[in-house]
Parts: sequence; C-alpha cells; structure tokens
Amino acid sequence: MDKEAGKKAIVEYLTKKAKSKSKFYLKDFYEVIPEEKPRDVKNLVNEMVKDGTLEYWSSGSTTMIGLKGTGKQAAAEDEA
Amino acid sequence: MAKHATPLLDQLESGPWPSWVSDIKQEAETRAKNVNGIEYQIPVDVCEDVLGLMELTYVQKRTHWKHGGIVGVFGYGGGVIGRYCDQPQQFPGVAHFHTVRVSQPAGKYYSTKYLKDICDLWERRGSGLTNMHGSTGDIIFIGTTTPQLEEIFFELTHNLNQDLGGSGSNLRTPSDCIGSSRCEYSCYDTQALCHALTVDYQDELHRPAFPYKFKFKFDGCPNCCVASIARSDMSFIGTWKDDIRIDQKAVQAYIGGELKPNAGAHASRDWGKFDIAKEVLNLCPTKCMWMDGGKLVIDNKECTRCMHCINVMPRGLRIGQETGLSILVGAKAPILDGAQMGSLLVPFIKVEEPYDEIKEVIEGVWDWWMEEGKNRERLGELIKRQGFQKLLEVTNIEAMPQHVQEPRHNPYIFWREDEVEGGFEREITEFRKHHQR
Amino acid sequence: MAFISSGYNPDKPMENRITDIGPRHFEEFYPPVIKANKGKWLYHEILEPGVLVHVSESGDEVYTVRVGGARLMSCTHIREICEIADKHCDGYVRFTTRNNIEFMVDNKNKVAALKADLESRKFIGGSFKFPVGGTGAGITNIVHTQGWIHCHTPATDASGPVKATMDVLFDDFKSMRMPAHLRVSLACCLNMCGAVHCSDIAILGFHRKPPMLDHEYLDKMCEIPLAIAACPTAAIRPSKVELPGGATVNSVAVKNERCMYCGNCYTMCPAMPLADAEGDGIVLMVGGKVSNRISRPTFSKVVVAFIPNETPRWPTTTSTIKKIVDVYASSANKYERLGEWAERIGWERFFEKCEIPFTHHLIDDFRDPAYYTWRHTTQFKF
Repeated sequence: MDKEAGKKAIVEYLTKKAKSKSKFYLKDFYEVIPEEKPRDVKNLVNEMVKDGTLEYWSSGSTTMIGLKGTGKQAAAEDEA
Repeated sequence: MAKHATPLLDQLESGPWPSWVSDIKQEAETRAKNVNGIEYQIPVDVCEDVLGLMELTYVQKRTHWKHGGIVGVFGYGGGVIGRYCDQPQQFPGVAHFHTVRVSQPAGKYYSTKYLKDICDLWERRGSGLTNMHGSTGDIIFIGTTTPQLEEIFFELTHNLNQDLGGSGSNLRTPSDCIGSSRCEYSCYDTQALCHALTVDYQDELHRPAFPYKFKFKFDGCPNCCVASIARSDMSFIGTWKDDIRIDQKAVQAYIGGELKPNAGAHASRDWGKFDIAKEVLNLCPTKCMWMDGGKLVIDNKECTRCMHCINVMPRGLRIGQETGLSILVGAKAPILDGAQMGSLLVPFIKVEEPYDEIKEVIEGVWDWWMEEGKNRERLGELIKRQGFQKLLEVTNIEAMPQHVQEPRHNPYIFWREDEVEGGFEREITEFRKHHQR
Repeated sequence: MAFISSGYNPDKPMENRITDIGPRHFEEFYPPVIKANKGKWLYHEILEPGVLVHVSESGDEVYTVRVGGARLMSCTHIREICEIADKHCDGYVRFTTRNNIEFMVDNKNKVAALKADLESRKFIGGSFKFPVGGTGAGITNIVHTQGWIHCHTPATDASGPVKATMDVLFDDFKSMRMPAHLRVSLACCLNMCGAVHCSDIAILGFHRKPPMLDHEYLDKMCEIPLAIAACPTAAIRPSKVELPGGATVNSVAVKNERCMYCGNCYTMCPAMPLADAEGDGIVLMVGGKVSNRISRPTFSKVVVAFIPNETPRWPTTTSTIKKIVDVYASSANKYERLGEWAERIGWERFFEKCEIPFTHHLIDDFRDPAYYTWRHTTQFKF
C-alpha cells in the first residue's frame, strides 16, 4: 500500500471535516482509504499517532481519533 | 484534625464489613506523616480531598467528576481513564484524578515483593488508592495527574516489567478463574491460555482496532466462576468429552454420611441426612444417573456436564480426562437492545499450545467484526443483526444441533440462490407457455 | 514537591520506550505448593466458613483462608496484606474475582494462627479489616463498579451501598446457611461496567431525568455532532436557542421521552449533565446466575423499580435485600438458586412472600425481549 498517500488522504479528510467535528471512529477511516483492509488502516492510523499527526480520544468505553490538539474538549482539558 | 469534616461518611466506619472510609482516612494519615520521606509527586492531601469531595457528593447526591478524553500514554489507545473534578478550587488535590489500568497477572496470584513494588510507585506518583481489582480484572490505580502518566508507564515498564491494561475500543485485559492451579474441576490451564492470548494480542489490547470493546474470559469449568458466559464477547469454558470418573467407595461414603455433601458448603444448617436420590439423581437435568444395586451408574452419553453431581460429591466424582473447552460468543450487558448470554459457537476444542486452533476462531471472528461491525456495536449485536449463520460462515464452522436451544420458530428462511435447484433466474416466456396471463 | 523524572524524556517519547510486554507471568507468583501441584488436585473441602483445603494426588495439601475486602483499597492496606502474607504465607497472596483475598498455607497447623491474626485486625473506626468467610452456600463479597469515587455518570455510589449492604448481610458472609450460593453485585449506572445482569441480587444505579442543557456553553465546550452521535436512542438533535440576553447560539434539543438516561452524551459533552438528587436512585434485580449447574445461566429480573439514594447507608435498599435473602433462605430447597426458587414458586408468589409491591414499571416494554416476558399461559397462581 502507498502509506504516504493514505496518510495524506486521512489528513485531508480530517482537515475538511474539522469545522463540524474533530473526532472520528476508526471505521470512518476505512471509507477514506477504501482499498485498504481494516487491519492495515488501523496500523496506518497508529503510525500516524506515533509520528504525532493524530491522537486518540477515549470515552472510556470507545475510542475516537482526531488530528492532534484539535477539538473543543481538548482545549478545555489542557486548562484543567 | 481532618482537612474536611465528613459526618455522613463517618457513619460508614461503623459496622463489621471493612470500611473504605476508614481505609482512606488511614491512607491520608500515612501520607501526612510520611515517615519514609516519600517525595510525593501529586498533592500530599489528595486522600483528604477525596473524602471531602465524597462527603459533598453524599450531601448533594450528584457525582462531581467530569470525563476527560485523555487515553493514556503515547502510542497507546487505552489504559488510562481521564477524570477531572468539577470543584477544583475547593478540592485542588483531586483536580486531575485519572485512573490507570494495570494488566493483572493471570489468576491474580501475587508475591508480596511485587505488591510492595507497585505500592512504592503508586504512593509516590498517585493517590495511594487502588481497586484490587476493577470489574474487568485489572489492578486499578485511582487518581493521578496528567504529568505523571508517562512517568508511571515508564517506571512500570522499565522497573517492574509490567504493562498497562485495556480500555476503549480495544481488547480488554483478559481474565480467568483460578483454574487447574488450585481447582480439581478445571478442564484446562486457564492461566496459561489467558496469559498466552494476552501476550499474543498486545497490539489489539493497546491500540484501538475494533468497533467497540472486546472481552475474553476464561472459565475452567461450567461453574463459570468468572462469569465469562455473561460478560465476555468470547468466553472459553472448560469441558470434557469422555466419562465422569467415579469412585464408588467415596460415593458410598457420601450416602453413609462419612463425607459431607458439596464439600461442606451447606454446613451451617441442618439439612437432614444426605439423600442421593433427592439431592443428586433427581436434580440431574438429564436424569442420566441412577443407583444400580448400591452402585452409581452414569449414562455419560446423555450427560450435559452441568457439574451438579460433581459439585455435590467432589470426592466421588471427577471430570473426565479428555478435556478441552467450549467457545461461546457475544455475551454483553443490557445496553442497548437487551442483555445477551454467550451463544455456543465451538462445542469442543483441545487446549494445546500454541493454541493455533483457538486463535483461528478468534481471528476469523475479529476480521468479520472489524469489517462489518458498526461503530459501538458489540459482537453479540452484530451476530443478531447479520445472523448466526453468517458467524458460522466466517468461522468456517458447520451448523449442528448443538448450536441451538431449539430450531427456529418460523419458516422464513432466506435461501441462497446456489442452494435452490435451478437458481433464481427463470424464463417468463417458458412459464407463459403453460400459464395464461 | 520537586518533580522526579522516571527517566522518561517528553521530547523524545519513543526513546528507550518499552511497550507491549503485557502482565507479569503468573508462574512468578505461585506459592510453591501451588506450583508443585498444579493440575494434580484431587478434591477440596470447606472446613469452616472461609477456610478451604485442597488435596493433591501427591498428598500435598493447601489450606486457604478467604477474607472479604473492599475493592477500593489503599496502599497502606495492601502493605498490611503483605505483612500478613510475609508472616504466614511465605510472601504469597491471591485475590479472587469477587474482591476477596486468599491467604494460603501448606500445612494445617498454620491455619489457626493465620486466621486468628486476620480476625484480630480492625480499622480504628471499628470494622474488621479481614473478615474470614465468603465460601460455599453463603453470601460472598459484592462485585461492584466505581460509583461516586471516580465515575462521571453514576446514578448512585458503589462503595457506600456495598459497605451498607455487606454490613446487613455480614452474618451470611460468615456462615453457610443459604440453600445455594447467593451472589450480589452492584453497577452504578445502566451501562453496567460491572456486568451485574446475571446476579442473584443486582443493585443497579439508575437515572430518571434526561440531561440538562447548558445552552450558553454547549457549543463552546462540545462538538455538537459528537453529542448527537453519542445518543443510542437518537433522542438528540441540533437546535438554535435564543439566550435570555437575546443572542442566538447553536445547541441541541433532547426528545425527553426517548431518553434512556445512559449518560453517553454527558461523556462526550460536559454541558449536558444528568445527575440529579431526586432523579437518581437504585433498581433491584434478582434471580440471575452464571453457573450452568442444574439449570441454564439466566438474567436477573427487575423487582424494585426505584429506591431513592438514601445516603449514607441506603436503609430501604439494604432492608429490601435482607428481606429477599431471608425469605429465600427459609423457603428454597437445598441447591436451589434464588432465581430457580422464584421460578418454581412463580414470580407472583415471590412478590407476595417478599412483600414487594408490583407496579407497571416491572412489565417489560423495552424493544424486542419484552414480549417474551409476558405470560403466555393460563397457568398462574392467585
């Protein structure tokens, strides 16, 4: 798979959606790069977490993914 | 003098059951005295603020915690639950109060050396309060601040050879019963399997791969002491295929009253003389056992291994020797469409390292759920939505009567085209030759 | 309070990073008698409430003294557990699934001293630190969730009601007079982190009011699409709201009659709190089990729709539980679990015997499983 293209597509998707929401389920990324298998998308997302592009957000029971440092709650939490 | 007056909580110090209020007070005192000169990395009076906040909660009857989305440590998608207090000025010690889930050893056996080591770490970098253990099975460290999270993880991994547990849309920390380590009923080594799968699936445990949480639990026998059948997406329950082993002399000793039934579990009350017919034979759900001239006979082919007779006469009866486990899938608590009990998928599978056969089932199920599961859809709900047949298809398992309690109540079978002779496509002109419009 | 580094470098988080090592290997922690006899155990016996012996085919024996514990436990308390285990058990100890602690010794003549030591220890407030019991046909420790000590969506506390309930049931923790095991569990909201839905008696926290809406701050604190998506019943929709000052803001509206009070929206959006002193309280469920013994595993059934949160000791909750336990203990057959007994005598008789009023709230009306709980026969009792 073309990792760089995949990463670029994910960042573009998140940037485009940034106005309405900042966090997405892993499943949403399947549709961004539909040619990849779920497991490969998961690995790619994790790589992007490691390189500091993305970050996880957890409700405790579920996990969401967004661009690092974005979202209204993230801002509120940094102040806390 | 306590920092906050706690008249309501104080009422939970009386009574015989161990009082967590007394315990938190004792921890508060230990921290205040600090005889070992610990350099506390979070406020020294954190426990006092916990008590003050709890007192306020007992007065107002509303929680004072807010959720935080922080997931834990760099690169992991779970293991930490973020909490912030909504009265941080009044209770600064608990302004941040995150929990850390620490993956417990299988079987929950500990050396005191290890427990003291984790106490050393947690007293210094956290509140000193724990759960031994959380509902899923982890050791829970309750209450620390954001800057301490990476430090705790670094010390756990570097000094204690110890990793975090799972949370979020991950594999949750698997847990098991005591198994063959101290139980004669156990049909397999629950600790070995629990540990092996926990280690093999570390990636799934730490990095969200699934639509929702996923739980493994391991019960050594159908008594189900860890409740795997009710609360794990995949439950591994020990069972056997051959005959229950009978020691006729011991059975006679139960009948004669020399041995106490049920290993003495009913000893605090006089239930009268042990009556094997009433207490065992007639309660057997399949009535597959009877006395024949003073000898106990079991028609093992009809036995469904409910464990009752073995539980009642553990010295007279033992599980068989051809042991393995059954896999049941899809259990969950009621939210949202109602609770689901585990459904039998694999009636019997041998438990042999490196557990390839078991892993094949697991991974088949995961691949399907990752592909088809909706966001926040548990495996049990996906099975309901797409059908049990679909589950059989993705795991390559043949349908068998053991899969159902009873056959379906309706004939609305959605036949696949390749199952119907001649297929679905038909010539209307051919039909019309014989049937007018 | 100087910051002490563990060695972690925040500028280079991946430097020297160790990940994915899992838990410690269980064999490190086996007491020698367990290690030597694993898989060889022949039988066990409960010698007295809280004391078990397991006998191996090698002739070895392990004696276990089981004590109750509050799962919310301090390091000071854990150190005391270690001190006891060092003194009596060669430095090993074990915890059970139900938050009990097991001290094991390899010789019968070590049991009395261990037991006496455990029973002698009390907190300053007067409660036992290590009550011995929780075996056989008795009532063992309650498994529970976090409650008000740490959770953001609880409808009741966990540790408080558990302490109050165990105080009331204490004699049955220390004896084995029940017809069968009786398992009590608590979950502090309907999400049930602690899956209590298959317990003989389940104490469940329950909210009864939809979330409040902090319109002025909602759009500032939360991402509205996420709050909407969090709702499992699709009760939340976007809306524009005019504030008292005249400004119009983006916010949400909640269809109250669709709300099941799960708190998922509050998790995503702190501007939608739902805790309420009058609204929140306890539901009691009974008759579930997980064991396959004699009958199938079964779900618990709701028998009390609501009891208010009566801090600090929840007297209505505990007295209702005590009544159910006592009626069960005096009426059920030997080996019969609470749910099996209720099924045998009929649920109409259960309510009568336990003196619990039956209300319309106890008839299921939630989605598909509801129909299967109505009575489809002319067989019933007057």
